[in-house]
Amino acid sequence: MKEFRFKIIIILGAIALCVYLLYPTYTDYQNSKKISQVLDKRREEIKTADPEITTDALNRRIRAVDDSIKAADPSIQNARQKRIKLGLDLQGGMRVVLEVNTGKLLQKLAKDPDQTFNDAISSAQKEAALSDESVVDILARKFEEKGIRLSRYFGSVRDDDNKIISDLKTDAEDAVSRAMEIIRNRVDQYGVAEPSIQRQGSRRIIIELPGVAHEEEAKQLLQGTALLEFRLVKDPEFTISVMQSIDKVLAGKVTEDSSNTDSSIASSEVNKDTSAAQDTTKQLSEEEFKKQHPFFSIALINPQSKQADAYVKEDDRNRLITLLNRPDVQKVIPNNVEFVFSAKPVAHQDGKGIYLMYLVNKTPELTGGVITDASANIDPTTSSPIVNMTMNAEGATQWARITGANVGKRIAIMLDGVVFSAPNVKGKIPGGRSQIEGEENMEEAKLLEIVLKAGALPAPVDIIEERTVGPSLGQDSVNSGLNSVIIGYILVGFFMIIYYQKAGGIAAATLVFTILFILGVLAGFSATLTLPGIAGIILTIGMAVDANVLIYERIREELATGKTMKASVDSGFAKAFSAIFDSNITTFFTGIILYQFGTGPIQGFALTLMIGIVSSLFSALVIARLIFDYMVSKGAKLSIG
Amino acid sequence: MKIFENINYDFLGKRKIFYAVSISLFLLGVINVIFRGLEFGIDFKGGTEIVLQFDKPVEIGKIRTDVENIGLGNVEVKTFGSETGVLVRTELQEIPANIYPVIRKNIDETIENSFPGLQKQVIDTTANSVTYQLTSADTTNRLVDILNNAGFQAGKVSVEPDNKELIVSVGIADWIKENLREKVSDNPFTLLKEEKVGPKVGKELKEDAVIAIIFSLIVILIYLGFRFKFIFAFGAVVALFHDTLITLGLYSLLYGVIPGLNLEIDLTIVAAFLTLIGYSINDTVIVFDRVRENMKIHKTTPLIDVINQSISKTMSRTILTGGTTLLTILVLMIFGGEVLRAFAFTLFFGIIIGTYSSIFVASALVLEYANRSKKKVQF
Repeated sequence: MKEFRFKIIIILGAIALCVYLLYPTYTDYQNSKKISQVLDKRREEIKTADPEITTDALNRRIRAVDDSIKAADPSIQNARQKRIKLGLDLQGGMRVVLEVNTGKLLQKLAKDPDQTFNDAISSAQKEAALSDESVVDILARKFEEKGIRLSRYFGSVRDDDNKIISDLKTDAEDAVSRAMEIIRNRVDQYGVAEPSIQRQGSRRIIIELPGVAHEEEAKQLLQGTALLEFRLVKDPEFTISVMQSIDKVLAGKVTEDSSNTDSSIASSEVNKDTSAAQDTTKQLSEEEFKKQHPFFSIALINPQSKQADAYVKEDDRNRLITLLNRPDVQKVIPNNVEFVFSAKPVAHQDGKGIYLMYLVNKTPELTGGVITDASANIDPTTSSPIVNMTMNAEGATQWARITGANVGKRIAIMLDGVVFSAPNVKGKIPGGRSQIEGEENMEEAKLLEIVLKAGALPAPVDIIEERTVGPSLGQDSVNSGLNSVIIGYILVGFFMIIYYQKAGGIAAATLVFTILFILGVLAGFSATLTLPGIAGIILTIGMAVDANVLIYERIREELATGKTMKASVDSGFAKAFSAIFDSNITTFFTGIILYQFGTGPIQGFALTLMIGIVSSLFSALVIARLIFDYMVSKGAKLSIG
Repeated sequence: MKIFENINYDFLGKRKIFYAVSISLFLLGVINVIFRGLEFGIDFKGGTEIVLQFDKPVEIGKIRTDVENIGLGNVEVKTFGSETGVLVRTELQEIPANIYPVIRKNIDETIENSFPGLQKQVIDTTANSVTYQLTSADTTNRLVDILNNAGFQAGKVSVEPDNKELIVSVGIADWIKENLREKVSDNPFTLLKEEKVGPKVGKELKEDAVIAIIFSLIVILIYLGFRFKFIFAFGAVVALFHDTLITLGLYSLLYGVIPGLNLEIDLTIVAAFLTLIGYSINDTVIVFDRVRENMKIHKTTPLIDVINQSISKTMSRTILTGGTTLLTILVLMIFGGEVLRAFAFTLFFGIIIGTYSSIFVASALVLEYANRSKKKVQF
């Protein structure tokens, strides 16, 4: 037994690790089953109570319930993050590839574009649609052919063509970052779970939105024009008084309207045991506070602060929006103001973001069209990050008036309805050059720069590829995929047992570990399982036993020469090794190439194929070997057909 | 249980027959590709494709006429999986100019029917969408629902509570769906899949696919050249070309022949071919590995006998390894669902041809070379 100890420890360790890595996937599956039951029930209840409700409003309320269930139990989120992720083809969703429309961007950038320019642009765009050359290069070539200097439309007169071309290219690249930021901002607000927004090359953005059923809304998120606004933040006294009246309305309503407590009922269903474990006295006073101040219990005010911005937890946001949209609450909020949220969380608590909620004027003081430039810098005197913003003449005049009238107040810089920064006005700003301070780091300042530019320069994007998979096809695919894995395993296992008897049984048993390892590794690296990925697992089942076949055939040959079982096993494993290694490594190579070549689903296949090769080798060469050696050493009868 | 035990067959003596079989299979494919061409899927061709799942079985012929009559020109209509699934595809990217006003009229009528006399203003139109401005936020919310239920793709322009703008998409897919909803009103459907690929993306993907396949062949040639003598590596890679090209030929030959099986070349098929390249080399490696071993033991035996003997000895494992893999692929083909069927089909035929070539073709090529060069082939 001693000689096997080391190997046994490694094998058991690997198995234990895989089980540990797969456990969150199992809990997540159980959790989502429970949650979707609760949500379906709520959906029916809301529908019967209010048959007239619009889909949008219904979804909003369901989302609020969903949030509160998840907020009540952090382990739900935890399991979700660690589970095996399903690709868009399995859970349904949308994949969109966007490309910045350089032609449109150039039109915006050009000074006094005339007919010649527009003709050149449109023919350059047509040409670029089917070639790898960039629109800027094609346009430059076209102008050169006509003998027109680029400085007629871009840059200043002294600039030569090469400088302008490189500037325009930088502008085009900047447009991609801008588009990404605008989209990320909107996707965040829209509340898509686990979105992925990536940059591909210099002009493209790949966006993956899992579980998005409503295509049109999602597309709108991606393509609509961004709106940059400067809005006045209301002063603290006013804000607090509005908040207090909302609080009163809600507190008065809570006792008679049962529908408002729906989320807490739903959350207690899932979270009974944890809440029971908590300190009961604290629980009571908290409950009491919640009842008396339903608004302030989710929108926290810092009493020490001079400002009346409320802190709102990520999970409470949807609930709060629903509350604020209730007609009785709307009645106490003055017509000309509204509550808006910060774009990013300002702090984190237990891994959850905390957002700021501001009360601002509904009418913007100024919109972003007047901004001509913005740049993030380090202030040389204080060495803290600042953002410089320049406006055109028309904007500068208005800006001077606005800042002059509101010294000491705050102005919120908002993109698409959320606040990116709310700086204090220190004094009247004449001449249109402003300096924004108070950003915590250079990264934040850079972001603000992008946001400010987004108001001035749109980043026109085109959808060049779009793939939507409906949730029902995804579910069908999961089911048929899993069925195939099971059927494939049973058939191959049976075949091995019939053909190689006991040795075949060992192969069939180690095959289970191969599958376990593949799934464990996928979970461990938080890789994505796609439909072709499942096909890769099925294929691995068929290919994994190849190694066993090669070894067993060798052992049979060795036995036929009259060697003992032990000698045959030893030389069988040794002699089969080179062929096993050579054949598997070529498949592994093509796996790597496939991973490089493919997108989403195909990469999933390449990944399971590669993991499958490594784990099947481990199963055949280490685990099966150990079982063989152990049985031989114990003198057990080993049949190999 | 044992198969192919103690066979000793003169495989290489009959190699002319196998050459003839391979060449005719190859020519069959080539002629077919020349005359019918390769049928590419949307990934490479670009265009719009939707897959719909109807509640009840549909008559594909009727759907075809319905779709052909909506003015999109050349539209492909096929069954997808069972008789309730329908795939509609066109190479168009956006709605043709002559259809556009018709769709606009339809949207306007739908709005008019629900809210007679509603004041609305078109504030933006693009090739893919129309944006309306309405009078109140509440009407906007209700109209979004009404339009979506009527088969349009509608959405609010912003999530602001007082949003009064409404955008309706007028894409190809929407137009097809909307028409079918009207024409097959007794049989509702849900959307299974929708894909739109631009022409540039398609072209790039095609180039990438060709590069990936050529690159993997080169990588295998280099690796085998490193492990075996060059001539063996060369024989193996020629066998790989043989497998890939014959499978591709058969694939295009069987396009449209088997009902319910959609044999088009798309990204997953390229993945299948790459897997085939990686896997089909396995059997060849097993045979060559044995040839190498036997050449060391029987130094004086002529090459042809060594190879024959090696093939006979490894016959059972060649068949078994290929067989278990085929078994799982068969499972995938039958139970794996519609999306993976063509993928499984490619691998199924590819592996059969790959197994055949590693027994009958790869070694024969090595022998052919050895006979011509009159030199002793060594490992």
